[in-house]
Amino acid sequence: MSTRWYPIYQKGNPQLRIFLTNFWMKMARPDPNQPENIVKFITPTQMSDHDIKQYLEKIYQVPVADVRSKIMEGKFRRVPQKGYIIKDECYRQAYVTMPPNCKFKFPDVTSNKAKREDDDMKKYEKTMKESYEKFQKKNAGRPGVPGWFGL
Amino acid sequence: MIIKFSRILGVVRNQLSGIRPSVRGYAVETLAGSLPSAERKTSSGVSATTTKPTKDLGPAKGLLAFFDSKDNWEVNEVRVGRSWRKDELRIKSNSDLHKLWYVLLKERNMLLTMLDEFNANVESFPSPERIDKVHESMVNLEEVVRERNKAYYLLETGETGERPGQLALNLLGMQFFFKTAEHVVPPKHNNHWFKTRRLGCDRREVAQFRLYHNEKIWLEKLRARRKLTRHVMKLYQKFPNIDEEALQAEFPEVNLEKVKRFKGAQGHYLFKSG
Repeated sequence: MSTRWYPIYQKGNPQLRIFLTNFWMKMARPDPNQPENIVKFITPTQMSDHDIKQYLEKIYQVPVADVRSKIMEGKFRRVPQKGYIIKDECYRQAYVTMPPNCKFKFPDVTSNKAKREDDDMKKYEKTMKESYEKFQKKNAGRPGVPGWFGL
Repeated sequence: MIIKFSRILGVVRNQLSGIRPSVRGYAVETLAGSLPSAERKTSSGVSATTTKPTKDLGPAKGLLAFFDSKDNWEVNEVRVGRSWRKDELRIKSNSDLHKLWYVLLKERNMLLTMLDEFNANVESFPSPERIDKVHESMVNLEEVVRERNKAYYLLETGETGERPGQLALNLLGMQFFFKTAEHVVPPKHNNHWFKTRRLGCDRREVAQFRLYHNEKIWLEKLRARRKLTRHVMKLYQKFPNIDEEALQAEFPEVNLEKVKRFKGAQGHYLFKSG
């Protein structure tokens, strides 16, 4: 459950314990008509279904009933303006089924887009106003002098 | 005779089960019918063996750790501190480091999820440098843990406990380094490994190649040495009273006594006399 090197397991030896796993995992947007107790994840290709189950149960305390995953090939795409072709990294796409009475709804993170833009505009307007007032204050005692003079 | 009779009984039972529900099925049906509709929906999918109505676990709260706190969804900048330094991590206990690792791991997963989500919605991700900071902290933490591991192994076994490596010759007669791995089969019986690795070469076949290859490497080294010499020569030309000890310490390979007498090392100016 880690990309680091571990001694191989021989039958009869004590069970291998993995400390400090270094696998990443990210939640992906759900597919259309995906049941509420199924969550989609993107993980590194080295991770097995068992790893994914242990990861979620032990680190995130999420009950897991079933894990199905497959390796997705990274997209081939052309670099804009340069023209050469590059390949994105492959990843593992996992559908994790929780018990049917356990549900999760993917939150809408960027719904308040308008509000954010408003905030930006207000901040910009405020700084513009302040700088203009400063400019006026500086030129109060010298009317008729061009704006670039006091630079 | 007895076997035949039991078979007939079994066939009759199976056929009858199609017509009227069995005792078990009947009991389940009545229980389900007595419960309210919402309850029945949840209890139907869990398992047929348990007749107890299962508790609704509600939303999986652990999965919310994959998302940032709601306050940070709308802001343009998230104010955060710096990453963990090695000196700070060295004074922490092992259990503290273990806890911190999982905090960082969860944080990184959260940031990666949020980055993907913001990108999918064509939005700017607030404070993307958080990912680098978490990564740096994780690298530092891992190094500190490795230091402790090495110290422990050196004390106990006299070895570092790190993964060992080895130098070997490939088919072209060039040296390469590889990290050794454990195998279940001992090396003298593991023919497969040697076949796939393709170690060793025919010296006579690769002699010509090695000659040219070594010449190339030698020329590269020569060029580098000449470049340094030329640089020192120019320094002499520019600063005739240069501190030679410092210069020798900076360029230990260059023979200063020789370079000083080069024509290029003489300045084309005159000192003021008197």
